[in-house]
Amino acid sequence: MKKTLLFLLLSALSAALSAANPGFGDRRYSVLGMVEYSYNKTWGHHANFDIQSLMPINPHFEMEARLQFSTANVHSGALQLRPKFELPVGELFLETDVYYRAFARNRIGDITAALGVGYRMDYVSITLGVFSRVIDDWNRSWYTDDNFVVEPFNLLYRIEVFCRPQNNNWNLSFMFSNIDDYQMERMWQPLFGIGAWYDINEHWRLNFMAQCKPTGMFHLDATFYGATGRVGFTYRF
Amino acid sequence: MMLLFASCANEDSTLDMKGLISPNGPTVGTRFEQSMAYNATRGEMHLDMQADDYSIYVCTDSHITRKTHRNLDYFIAQYRAETAPKLALHLGDVIDAQKNFPCADSILHFPGQTIKDTVFVTPGNHDIYFKQWDIYRDFFKSSVYWFDTRNGTKKLDLFICLDSAEGELGVAQMNWLRAFLDEKSKEGYRRIIVFSHTHLWKLDASQGHTSNMALEATYEFTSLLAQYGVECYWCGHQHARQLVRFKGVTYRVLNATKDSESGQSYMIAHMGEHITYDYIDYPKE
Repeated sequence: MKKTLLFLLLSALSAALSAANPGFGDRRYSVLGMVEYSYNKTWGHHANFDIQSLMPINPHFEMEARLQFSTANVHSGALQLRPKFELPVGELFLETDVYYRAFARNRIGDITAALGVGYRMDYVSITLGVFSRVIDDWNRSWYTDDNFVVEPFNLLYRIEVFCRPQNNNWNLSFMFSNIDDYQMERMWQPLFGIGAWYDINEHWRLNFMAQCKPTGMFHLDATFYGATGRVGFTYRF
Repeated sequence: MMLLFASCANEDSTLDMKGLISPNGPTVGTRFEQSMAYNATRGEMHLDMQADDYSIYVCTDSHITRKTHRNLDYFIAQYRAETAPKLALHLGDVIDAQKNFPCADSILHFPGQTIKDTVFVTPGNHDIYFKQWDIYRDFFKSSVYWFDTRNGTKKLDLFICLDSAEGELGVAQMNWLRAFLDEKSKEGYRRIIVFSHTHLWKLDASQGHTSNMALEATYEFTSLLAQYGVECYWCGHQHARQLVRFKGVTYRVLNATKDSESGQSYMIAHMGEHITYDYIDYPKE
């Protein structure tokens, strides 16, 4: 009897929470294609082409896969696994990210793996975690003193504030982070971004993103290093 | 945050918090142009060591103030007492904050980086805080320069000083470096050594909150050094010794010379057919 009552109580609570929290951003299977104009002081002006796919496998688990090709001859791939748990207010999620960036122009590979915890509410999304990086020379010989470089500990942070609830049909957001869809910068190298979307209809969404990367902020001598503008469409199944 | 920015108004503050959001003086592009202009008037620097083997005394991050510069005094005294052929480098952050350059001058006796018995300096972020670039330039003349060591007419080693004080080299300096290495790497030097302030790798948490260069800049720069056979990159900034060998280049970060930090040391590089290194601890107070 006690077990039955407990089951009924939990069921009622769960139903109430589901009704109160319809989910964030209407997450459906989707494919995103974007083009980017980008400039930084190292590579100069260049263009990037992005393909992303969101796969919400079930209400408690989703995956994202991303590819980026750049005219700067640096190409990136990212895989993100995200178990998530709805809470009375907001949604808690774990995030496991693996990024690989092929700096073909420099014959260098950069692989990063991150583990983070995130909390998402209607107007705010916060992720905090750690990541490790391995940097290797494509031409490294096993018969020299050369080695790969391991940066074992970095802090990962991402704070995004939205102007509208995340399941709205349009939005504008401001982001402060040291990671984006294709790069994980060192913890003292933040990125600043603005994002926006507009749902044209049931299936098509227009996306926009702009990002600025200063350098030397924590030298207390910040200067502009690079900027990116990105526009594209999402098709949601 | 307001308190942090208010600290800018305090002339004894050691952190220039305006620099968190904007440049606190001429950026690296301007400093590079001014340095090149000075270099053109000064002419080339060739140090005749009168031997193939010689020593380089290297220290970094002395962060001297008007009140304390014990370790830097010790470093200079040891360097001046060396009787073998020698030169010395300071890898930046000579001073801690504003109004300390006169103190550096009295210790280092800089007449400009043109004579042999001097200390070659590269700027660190603390050296150019509080719009101090013009003062730095009065003392040290140039933030980007090169010199070589010779034994008579025989070329030995080439040294290139780069300005990375704000965590980037800038477009003009990188272009110059590429062209310069392309030219000089064919001139038969025994080795090429590049020195600057900012370290390139974040191997651990010892660096505190000090920034590196952006990743794109790090990989472009390290590839450039490797492409032209640079043997070593020496730097400071993170106050903790570190050694990395990547793409055939040895990246050596030195301990600091700052008085208030324990367990610090300077480096003596014995230059010959090969380089050997000694690290000398500063005496305890």
